[in-house]
Amino acid sequence: MNDARAEADRTPTSNPVLRRALAWGAVLAGVILVVSAVLGFVFAGVPGLLGGLIGTLMAVVFMGITAASILAANRFASSDLFVGAFFGIVLGGWILKFIVFIVLVVVLRDAEWLNPTVLFLSLVAGVLASLVVDVLVVAKSRLPYVSDVELPKAPSED
Amino acid sequence: MDATTVLAEINGNIATVGYGLAAIGPAIGVGIVVGKTIEGVARQPELAGRLQVLMWIGIAFTEALAFIGIATYFIFV
Repeated sequence: MNDARAEADRTPTSNPVLRRALAWGAVLAGVILVVSAVLGFVFAGVPGLLGGLIGTLMAVVFMGITAASILAANRFASSDLFVGAFFGIVLGGWILKFIVFIVLVVVLRDAEWLNPTVLFLSLVAGVLASLVVDVLVVAKSRLPYVSDVELPKAPSED
Repeated sequence: MDATTVLAEINGNIATVGYGLAAIGPAIGVGIVVGKTIEGVARQPELAGRLQVLMWIGIAFTEALAFIGIATYFIFV
């Protein structure tokens, strides 16, 4: 009985939702990447194009890291240290992400080869679009209430 | 130089205060979201999957403001 419980799949039910959100986020990122690059090129030339590309990539990658970190942390679902590992990985990933983001902002601010205004606008567009994708995916998701529960097996005859 | 002028003197870029503010808000927000998720999972461990998704969407909205706040460095001189 104990062996059966230990072998049961304890992966949380959130994995498919997070995977779908990452996939749709990537699709929408491609669309916004093209739109912001074209608009940036029209209004600000090559620096605008690069600003649009980098801004969109920053928004989508940094917004996606949260879902990716939850997916990574869920791999430890069967571990005894799951709760600690989960919040350690998710929150540790979060703070690392913001440190990298601030460093990127400081470094790219004075770069001559991109347009900071286009970068900012495409970053805002990317962040908002990724929020829209997240909300739509969650709203359309079907998360069972009880799938993490292991139902008791019928007693065997012997 | 009178006392008020001395007290009001600020060196450096005032925008730095903005980065501090952009960090405080999300820190409090994510702290509440994660703390409440821990509470919920502790009460009902079988709902961990659902609560993770709700936690994730809460973190996403909170950090969106942080990203936009920090990225204003690009447009504010």
